[in-house]
Amino acid sequence: IMGCAFDAQNLISISLRKIQSSRTQRGGIKLHKNLLVTYVLRNARQFYMSKNLSQTQRTHPYEDVAAVRERQEYLELTGSFTELADDFYCNFTGAESDTWHCGAHQPHGQPAEVAHQDASACAMVAPSDSDLMVSEACWSCADKSSWELPIPNTQANQKTVLDLDTHVVTTVTNGYFHSDCCAQPKQPQGAQCYAKKRKMDTSYHIVDPEFYLPDFGPVPCKRMRSEDDSHSDSEQLDSTNISNLISVLGSGGLSEFVSWQQTDLEQIFAAQTICLKHTLLTGSGWTRAIEAF
Amino acid sequence: MAGPGGGSSDVQWCFSQVKGAIDDDVAEADIISTVEFNHTGELLATGDKGGRVVIFQQEPESKNQPQCRGEYNVYSTFQSHEPEFDYLKSLEIEEKINKIRWLPQKNAAQFLLSTNDKTIKLWKISERDKRPEGYNLKEEDGRYRDPNTVTTLRVPIFRPMDLMVEASPRRVFANAHTYHINSIAVNSDYETYLSADDLRINLWHLEITDRSFNIVDIKPANMEELTEVITAAEFHPNQCNTFVYSSSKGTIRMCDMRASALCDKHAKMFEEPEDPNNRSFFSEIISSISDVKFSHSGRYMMTRDYLSVKIWDLNMETRPVETYQVHEYLRSKLCSLYENDCIFDKFECCWNGNDSVVMTGSYNNFFRMFDRGYRQDVTLEASRENSKPRSVLKPRKVSTGGKRKKDEISVDSLDFNKKILHTAWHPLDNIIAVATTNNLYIFQEKLN
Repeated sequence: IMGCAFDAQNLISISLRKIQSSRTQRGGIKLHKNLLVTYVLRNARQFYMSKNLSQTQRTHPYEDVAAVRERQEYLELTGSFTELADDFYCNFTGAESDTWHCGAHQPHGQPAEVAHQDASACAMVAPSDSDLMVSEACWSCADKSSWELPIPNTQANQKTVLDLDTHVVTTVTNGYFHSDCCAQPKQPQGAQCYAKKRKMDTSYHIVDPEFYLPDFGPVPCKRMRSEDDSHSDSEQLDSTNISNLISVLGSGGLSEFVSWQQTDLEQIFAAQTICLKHTLLTGSGWTRAIEAF
Repeated sequence: MAGPGGGSSDVQWCFSQVKGAIDDDVAEADIISTVEFNHTGELLATGDKGGRVVIFQQEPESKNQPQCRGEYNVYSTFQSHEPEFDYLKSLEIEEKINKIRWLPQKNAAQFLLSTNDKTIKLWKISERDKRPEGYNLKEEDGRYRDPNTVTTLRVPIFRPMDLMVEASPRRVFANAHTYHINSIAVNSDYETYLSADDLRINLWHLEITDRSFNIVDIKPANMEELTEVITAAEFHPNQCNTFVYSSSKGTIRMCDMRASALCDKHAKMFEEPEDPNNRSFFSEIISSISDVKFSHSGRYMMTRDYLSVKIWDLNMETRPVETYQVHEYLRSKLCSLYENDCIFDKFECCWNGNDSVVMTGSYNNFFRMFDRGYRQDVTLEASRENSKPRSVLKPRKVSTGGKRKKDEISVDSLDFNKKILHTAWHPLDNIIAVATTNNLYIFQEKLN
C-alpha cells in the first residue's frame, strides 16, 4: 500500500483525476478538498518547471488535428470525460477543425465558415438548454474588438459567472466584471440573457456552484486585472493564487506534457484533451465558462 | 494525580461497550459522522451518514456494582436530515450529520442542534411516561364516541405508561449557507449559536429561524484569489463575545464580536511558521486544521492537523505551547496517503474534563491520548478483539525503525480503512466514546 511512484508528473495526473471524480461525488464538489488538490498541483508543477528550466522552448501548445481527433475517440468512450468537458473551461489557441467549432467567435485568420455552430459538434450540449444557447448566441455576436483574440501566448479569458449568492449572471473578462456583456443591439436578446435569473436545466451539468474553476489557457502571464494592478508580476501566479488554474494547468504547464510520449501520462493527455475538445466545440478564443460561486 | 480526568500515567482504560453492527460489510448510511456528550455526560449522541441521530443514555449507577459506572443504552433514535436536491444548483445535498451540539438543559426536555451540509435543526427530545385515560368523547383507541351514548361524565386521569422518548424538530435554520457547513457552536449565552461553512460564519438566535447575521466572510471578490477556507469554528466557553475559526492554511483567528458587526478583522491570529525542512508537495494539506476546541477553562485551545495536535495559549499567538505528534511515521507516506485520499481525513480532538489530557484518533482503529502534565502519551485500539467486558486495554505501539518488536505493528501493516475520526470525552468522568467506521466504543477508567 505504501509503494508509490513519487514524481511530479504522477502527482499531477492523480490530482487531475481527483478533481474529475469530485464532480460526480454526492453532495457536490467539496471546495476545501479541491483547494488542497490545487495546492498539490501547483507544487508539482513548480517542481517540474524548476527541474526543466532548460526546456523553456515553447512548442505549439496543441497537437495537430489528427492527433486530437484520435484522442477524441478516447474521450468518447469515457462518458465521465464528456461530462467533465462540460465543466472544464479553457482557452483554445491552437489547431482546430471546422467540425469542432461551435459558437461563432473566431480567432484571427480563421475562415468565416467556421463561425457557425456545428450541430454535431455541439452534441454534448443539451439541446433543451435554451438559456445556454442564447448565451452562446450572445457571445458569438460579441464585438471582436472587445475580446482578446486567441493567438498563442495571449490571454482571452471570458467567463460567464453565476453568483449563487445573488443569482446574478455576469461576465468576467480578464478579471473584470461586466454587468452587461452583450450591450450591442444587434445581438439577439443581448443583455437580457444576463440580467435575468438563469433557469437551470438539470440535464445540463453546469459546474457545481461550490467549486470554482477558472479558465486555464496556455498563457504564461498572469491575467491583468487592471492597468495599475500591482499584481502584474507573473511570479505572483505561483505564490498564492492556487485557485487560479491558469498558473497550474495553463501557462504552458500542462501543454508541455503534450510533447511527452510516455504512455503512463495518458491521464494527463486525456485531461488536457478534454480541454481541447471543449474549446474546440465552443470556438476558439473565448471560453464558455459557467462558473458559479 | 489520580481522580476524574487524571493523568494517563495511572489511568487504565477498560472496554465497556460497543454499539453498532458486527458486520464487516459496512452500510454507508451507518458510518458514524459525529459523537457528542451532553453537558452532564448522561446522554451521548451520534450522527451518521444516513442522517440519523442515535442518543444513548447512561443508566444510573447501580448500588450492586458501585465499581462500574452506568452503561449507555439507546434512548432515542430519529431521522434528523433527509437527502435533498437543490434544483437551482443541480446539487444533491447529503443527509450526513456533520455536527451535533447539545444545549444545556433548562427544563425536563433535552435540546440539541444537528446539522448537515446546508441546514441546521433544533431537536427537542422529551420523555413521556404518562398518558391520559378516561376521556368522555373518545374511546381508548382514539375513536370518537357518539355523544348520544354518553350517559355519565368522568374526569380523565393520567396513568403511567411505558417510557416513550419523542424527538421533534422545533426549529429549522435553512438557506443561510451557500457552501458546506462544517461547524456549529453554541454560545455561552445559551441564546445564540454560530454555523460555519467554507467561506462564511453566521450567527443565529435559537428562537429565530428566518434570519441570521453574517459575522465572518472570507469569500474574495474574485474567487480566483481564494487561498484558504474555514475549516472549524467554536465559541469561547465563557466569553460570549469571543469565537475562533481555523483555516485550511493552518491559522486560527480569534474574533471579538464587540469590535464590529462583521468580524473580518481578527483580534488575534495564531499561526506557527512552517518548518522549511519539512516542506513537501503536501505541506499545505497537512497543515490544514481539521478541528479546533477550547479547553474547558477557556485559557487554551487545541487544534488538530493531519499529523499533530497543538495546544495554544490564547495569550500567545506566535506558536503553540505544546505540540504532540499523533502519527509522525506517516510523514514519509504522504504520497500514498494522497493517492488513497486518506490525507484528506478530518480528525477531531477533545479535552478531558479538567483539561489535563487530550485525545485524538488515528488509523488502524488506534486512538491516542496525550497527558499534558505527565508528558506521557498512549496509543490504544478500539477493536472487537479487545472487547471482553472490563478487559483492560493494552497500549499499542507502531514500530517505525527497522526492527519490529513483538506486539508492535509495522507502519505498512496499518489498516487505513479503519480510521477513528470522532472521539468524545465525558465532561466529568473518565469515560470516552470512540467511533470507528460504524461502531461506537465506550471505554471507562478501571476502578478498583
